[in-house]
Amino acid sequence: MGSGAATNTRKRSFWSVVSGQRELILMSVPLLLYKVLFSYVPIGGWTMAFQNFKPAIRTWYKQQWVGFDNFVKLFTGLNGERFIRDIGNTLAQSLLTLVLGYVCSIVLALLLNEVKNIGFKRVVQNITYMPHFLSWIIVAGLVSTALSVPTSGGIINTVLMGLHIIDTPILFLANPGYFWGIVAGSHLWKELGWNTIIYMAAITAIDPALYEASDMDGANRYQKMWNITLPCIKSTIVILLIMSIGNVLEAGFEIQYFLGNGLIVEKSETIDIFVLRYGIQMGNFSLATVAGMFKTVISILLITGANFISGKLGEEKLI
Amino acid sequence: MKRIISALLAAVLAFSLAACGSGSQPTANQEPATAASQAPAAAKTAAPAADPAPAAEPAQTGGLPVLSPSNPVTLTTWITSNYAAPSNDNKLTKLLKDKLGVTISYEIITPDNADQKIGVMLAGGDYPDLVGAVELNARFITGGALIPLDDYLKPDVADVLYTHVEPYWNRLSFDAGDGAKHIYVLPNYNRYYGEITGGTNYSASGFWIQKDVLADAGYPDIENMTLDKYFKLIKDYMAKYPTIEGQPTIGFEILAANGREWGLTNPPEYLAGAPNNGGVIVDSNNVAAIFADKEISKTYYQYLNQMNAEGVVDQETFTQTLDQYLAKLASGRVLGMYDQRWNFGNAYDSLHSAGKDERTYVSLLPVYDGYKPYYADREVMNINQGFGVSVSCQQPDVAVAFLNTLLSEEWQKLLSWGIEGEDYSVGADGLFTRSEAQRNNAKDLVWRASNRLEALLDILPKHQGTYSDGNAYSADDQPTEFFATLVDYDKDFLTKYNKKTWRDFLNQPPDNPVYYPAWNIALPDGSEAQMANTQLTDTSLQFLPKAILAAPSEFESIWSDYVAQIGKINIKAYEDAVNAGIQERIANWG
Repeated sequence: MGSGAATNTRKRSFWSVVSGQRELILMSVPLLLYKVLFSYVPIGGWTMAFQNFKPAIRTWYKQQWVGFDNFVKLFTGLNGERFIRDIGNTLAQSLLTLVLGYVCSIVLALLLNEVKNIGFKRVVQNITYMPHFLSWIIVAGLVSTALSVPTSGGIINTVLMGLHIIDTPILFLANPGYFWGIVAGSHLWKELGWNTIIYMAAITAIDPALYEASDMDGANRYQKMWNITLPCIKSTIVILLIMSIGNVLEAGFEIQYFLGNGLIVEKSETIDIFVLRYGIQMGNFSLATVAGMFKTVISILLITGANFISGKLGEEKLI
Repeated sequence: MKRIISALLAAVLAFSLAACGSGSQPTANQEPATAASQAPAAAKTAAPAADPAPAAEPAQTGGLPVLSPSNPVTLTTWITSNYAAPSNDNKLTKLLKDKLGVTISYEIITPDNADQKIGVMLAGGDYPDLVGAVELNARFITGGALIPLDDYLKPDVADVLYTHVEPYWNRLSFDAGDGAKHIYVLPNYNRYYGEITGGTNYSASGFWIQKDVLADAGYPDIENMTLDKYFKLIKDYMAKYPTIEGQPTIGFEILAANGREWGLTNPPEYLAGAPNNGGVIVDSNNVAAIFADKEISKTYYQYLNQMNAEGVVDQETFTQTLDQYLAKLASGRVLGMYDQRWNFGNAYDSLHSAGKDERTYVSLLPVYDGYKPYYADREVMNINQGFGVSVSCQQPDVAVAFLNTLLSEEWQKLLSWGIEGEDYSVGADGLFTRSEAQRNNAKDLVWRASNRLEALLDILPKHQGTYSDGNAYSADDQPTEFFATLVDYDKDFLTKYNKKTWRDFLNQPPDNPVYYPAWNIALPDGSEAQMANTQLTDTSLQFLPKAILAAPSEFESIWSDYVAQIGKINIKAYEDAVNAGIQERIANWG
C-alpha cells in the first residue's frame, strides 16, 4: 500500500513517504536492531587488533595501544611463514571442496531428476543426505578409522589390498600429499545429498511444457538435460556460487583439527587452526583479531569480485 | 482501524526487542565492573587486617557461613581432569546434599583440550564458581578470573585451608600482574601431612615395558639400563611372538597427541640424566637451556629412526589420538613406550581388571653412557594447580567454606576411603582395612562412578600423607592395603626382582633443587617467551616424526632442516623467561 501511495505523487517530501510507510518501517526496526547489534557492534572489537589486549583489564580504552605491532607479528618472521602457508592451505582445501562439491551435487541432481521410479529416487536422496546430520567429530572419527591400517579397522586399505591394487597399507594420514583430497572427499561424502536439495527444488520449478516441446522435437535425455534443465537452473547455480565464494576462506575447522598431525601439518593447517593455536590457546586475542580482520577483508573482496565478474558476463548478480 | 492495530503491533514488537537488547546489555557491562571492583576491595581490607574480609553473613562461625541442608546451595565447577563426572545416583553426591546442602554441577574437560577452552572463557569473562585447572591456572590468574584468597586463609576464617597453605605461602602466592602476590589457587597434590606412607606406586616418567617381556627373557638384570638393552628386549620378544591375541605385536609407541607433545620431546633429558624440567635442562649453575636441537636429542631420535627401520615403532604412532593410543595399550599388544604413568592409568587399570596382569607395565630407566638415571624426583607440591574461586562467584565465602569443610579429615576420609562400614572397616588396631569385595569394587570403573567423586577429588586440596589417627590418606597409600591387593602375578614378579613395591624400580631421588621443576614456570600470555615455546613445540611436532619415519639415509638432512628451523625462533626469549623464573624462585623459596 505504501508503494501505491508513493507512485501517485512523485514529488512528495521525505517525511510524507516515511509516514506513508510507517508500518513497514516499524516492522523492519527489530531486524535492523538485530543486524546492528550482532553484525556491526562486534566490529568495535577490531580495536583489539591495535591493542596488547589483556582480558584482566575490563575497560577497553584502558588497554595498552600498540599500533600495528600485531600486524607485524602476524605477517613477518616465523609466524608470517606459517600464516601465509595456512592461507594457501585454506584456499586450496576450500576451492577443491567447492569445485568437487559443486560439480557432483549438480550432476547428482540432474541424474536424480531423470529417475522415474519415485521410490528409488527417494531412497537414493535419503541415503545421500543422511550423513549431513552427523557432526564433524563423528565424521572425523569415521574417516580416521577408515583410512588407518587394516588391523585398526582401515576399510579402505583392506579393500585396496583385497583388490591387489597395493601390497602394503598406505598411511593416508601420515602423508601430506593426501590431505587436501581427504578433506574434499569427506565434505563430499557428508554434504553431497544435502546440497542437491536446492537444485532439485529449482528443477521442479521448470515449466513441463519445455520438456514436452523438446519431446516433440525428438530430443533425447542428454539433450534435454543439457539444453533445458541446466540452463533453467543456471541462475540458482550462479547465485549459490557467488555466495560460496564469500566463504572460500572458511575451509572448515573441525576435520583439519581432528585429523591434522605433525607429519602433515604443512598441508593440513588452516587459518582457523592457526588462530586457535596462536590466538585463543595462548590468550593472544589481539593476534587472533588481526587474523579475523584479514579474513573478513579478503572475503569481502572476493565476493564483490565474483559479483562484478558475474555481472560483466551477463549473469545473475547477488547485489 | 486495521492500520492502527498493525502499527501498534509493530511498535510493541520493536519495543520489546529493543528492551531485550538493552536489558541484557547493562548486565553484561555490570559484571566486569563488579569483578574489577571486587579484587581491589578485597585487597584493601587486607591492609587494615582488623576487619574480617568476607562480608558479614548471618550464621557464621569462624568467619565463614555454615553449610547445612536447610540452606541449600549449588556450586558450579569447571574441572580439568581425566576422570569422568560421577553418575547421577552417586552416593557421595547425595551425602554432600544431605549433610552440607551443597549440589555440585560439573563441567569437566580433559587436559589436552583445556588451553583453548581457557582462552574462550577468558575472552567471555564469565566463569563457574570454582575453577580448577592443572598447569594452566596462571592464565586464569593473570586473566583476572580468580579472586585472591588471602583474606580467607587465616586461622580464624578458613582454618583447615590455612593450615594447608601456611607453610608454603611464598611458593603458592603469585603475582597476577599488579605487583602484589596473593594466593589464588589451592594446591591439589603433594602437600603432605604427617608421615608419607605412599611411595608404593609411581606415577611419573619412564620407558615402560610389558612385564611379560621381562618375564619371558628370564627376569634379566635391569640395572644400568641403556636404549640398546631396552630395545633388544622388545625386539627379541617381537621376534618370538609376532602376534598377541591374534593381532600384530607393536614394539614401541611414541605418544605425540595434542597436549601430550612431551611424549615425543621430553625423553632426551632423562636419557642425559636430567630430571623433568620440561623443554630445558638446568645445569649445576642453575642456568636453563633448551635441548631440542642438541646432540642428546639427535642421538635419541636417530635411534628411533633406526628402530623404525627395523619395524619396532608403530607405523600409526604419530597419526593417532590419545584415545586411540590408550586403546592400543589396553589391547595388550604394545610392548613398550615412553610415557608418564598417570597418563596411561586408564589403560593400565583396564588391563588389570581384565586379568591381563602380564600385559601391564613396569618402568625401566635407560640412560646414555656415563649418566645416572634421574627419572624419579621427590614429589613436588603442585603450584597453580587446583581450585580457585572465580570473580563470577556470587557467594565466594560459601565456596571457600565448602573447600574448607571438604579438606577436614572427616570429609577427606569419606572422599578417599569411602563410607565406613560400606567401603572399608576399622580394625581393632585402628587401621583401616577392606574386604576382598570392597577391594574389587575399588577396581571397578562403573562402581567408582556411582560411589566415588573422582573428578572432584582430583582437583580438591587433599590431606595426603597420614591422618591424625595414623591411617594413610587413601587405600592406595596404605602399605598393608597395597600388599593385600597385589595379584599373584605381581607378587611373583616383585619377588623375582627382589623388590617390594613398584617404586623400587626407580632411582633414589636426591633432594630437589630449590627452583624445581622448571616446567611449571608460567610464561605470560601473549609474551615473546610463550610464542617461542609454542613455536618450538610446533617445530618439533612437524620435524621429529618425519625424521623418525624417514629412511635412515635421509635422517641427517631432515635433522639439519630441523635445527635450521629452530634457529629462526626467538629461543633466547624463552630461555631468559625460564631463567628469570628460576632466579625468582631461588630468591623467594630458598
